[in-house]
Amino acid sequence: MPMKEAVSKYVKSGDLLFISGAQHGAPAAAVAEIIRQKIDHLGVITCLTNTNSLIGEGLVDRLITGYNMFNEKRSYALQKARENNKFPVVEESSHYGISLMLYAGYMGIPFMPTRSLVGADMAVYNSDNIKSIECPFTHTQIGLVRAVVPDIGIIHVQRADADGNAQKWGTLGIDLEGINASRKIIVTTEEIVDSEVIRRDPNRTIVPGFRVSAVVEQPFGAYPSHLAGCYGDGPMVFGTMMGGKEAYEANLQETVYGVKDWNEYLENLKKQHGADFFDKLRLKNPAMSEPVTSGYELIGGNE
Amino acid sequence: MTQDDKKSYSANIQMVVSAAREIKDNDTVYVGVGLPMQAALLAKNSHAPNCVIVIENGIVRSNLFPIPAATDTLGSQAFADQLSGLFHVMSLGQAGHLNTGFLGAGQIDRFGNLNDTCVGDYRNPIHRWPGSGGGNDVMSWCSRTIVILEQDKRRFLEKVDFITCPGYLDGKPGRREEIGLRPNTGPAAVITNLGVYGFEDREMVLKSVHTDIGVTLEKIKEETSWDLKISPDLKDTEPPNGEELQIYHEKIEWVMAARARMRGQMPPPGPQQGKA
Repeated sequence: MPMKEAVSKYVKSGDLLFISGAQHGAPAAAVAEIIRQKIDHLGVITCLTNTNSLIGEGLVDRLITGYNMFNEKRSYALQKARENNKFPVVEESSHYGISLMLYAGYMGIPFMPTRSLVGADMAVYNSDNIKSIECPFTHTQIGLVRAVVPDIGIIHVQRADADGNAQKWGTLGIDLEGINASRKIIVTTEEIVDSEVIRRDPNRTIVPGFRVSAVVEQPFGAYPSHLAGCYGDGPMVFGTMMGGKEAYEANLQETVYGVKDWNEYLENLKKQHGADFFDKLRLKNPAMSEPVTSGYELIGGNE
Repeated sequence: MTQDDKKSYSANIQMVVSAAREIKDNDTVYVGVGLPMQAALLAKNSHAPNCVIVIENGIVRSNLFPIPAATDTLGSQAFADQLSGLFHVMSLGQAGHLNTGFLGAGQIDRFGNLNDTCVGDYRNPIHRWPGSGGGNDVMSWCSRTIVILEQDKRRFLEKVDFITCPGYLDGKPGRREEIGLRPNTGPAAVITNLGVYGFEDREMVLKSVHTDIGVTLEKIKEETSWDLKISPDLKDTEPPNGEELQIYHEKIEWVMAARARMRGQMPPPGPQQGKA
């Protein structure tokens, strides 16, 4: 499905959005499309992913986070949101807290106990989501975080089949729990492969196709982040997070408003930096893993 | 020591070296990016070759790797022992399998509570740091947590403005266990550009002063906002030795400089707890 259609069909104003890719393969192309379509009043839950443009464009009402660049003096995106009275309500936790909130959602239970967060002031200021109770078994205190079930989760992966069986490898951050907790799921993928490729290595599938609403083939869909086995960081990987007004607006023009889609942006990068720009980001001397025996030929055939 | 020798290292290198010395061979160490990562790699390249390094995105590795520029990089992923996710590595920690944690901080108080969140009132802060990241988690369950930060009077406070990572809370015995933190855990050492601190009866105690780079006890007291406990056994910090300096220059400084040159820019500011 084209990105434009996947985003307009499945990301709705008011949704709680999970963005995958904790510094590894964030779905940048999909996020750019959300901004292009100005889908607003979003809640966002993520970990170490750049949410600055979403916030700066005034699309985020609520941010569930463990770590975010909050220094307004150094972030034009935050200044812009503040100016336009669109600064999100922030619900702060820790990284493990975020992971456990999503894990509880993934498991279909209302909360998750933890030894994190009990001694922290996040529990004081985010008391709707972080609590402490006496454990009914040990009769000692234990912390709790409330489950989060995102309305829509977006993950970018190295490969998926047309049914949405999606395979990601390398570090997974909070991808497994976040994407599986989500009600609707958009998979964006470097390439759509034959189901046969998926089924020869099914352990690598992070979310099964039956859970997935849309599959979008988008090469360099995580640029400028790196993606294991595919490409390294682009030159501006952190550049736009702390820039001033000009850098911020120029980046948005380049990636969102001045182009019809991500592919046009990628083409423009090639025009600016040379036709081999993306080839240079591809891994040099990639190391292959040993093949793993997984399936076998069934009597009566594999079909 | 001659003047020239003194110029061969900075307070920054002393911090990294002192922190590295806190890592023992066979430790399993949770490491954040920045100075903690430099310290862990220095240790692994010298006296602690068997330490296991755990990074929050899901990386577990017992082998060496180039100093990474951010929390997650292809270089720190490649040839790891295990790649998984944050839930897995943090669950290892919560269950008590990570014995050492390494954190930066924005503020610290006499009982080792850390603030990585805000200066002033949380609802109307004078300054905002990015927040906990994995810092709260590490401090909640690692057997010993080592904290690295620049010391000045505004960072070394009687009481932090906001507890992001719990130290020994109000300093009373048993407080950590009482509220549900893992027993026998908490801050164990604090390393600054001025000195090295330990904890006795849950309170920070000055153990050594970086006298070799010109720091005095008076300076340390000046840059501390409470009546600091001084160890009766107070020492001069042992300066970096030749091997430590060589490893620092070759494995850390050189790699970071080469990378910055290659990219035509400074290394990206990766998340680092509490760095303004």
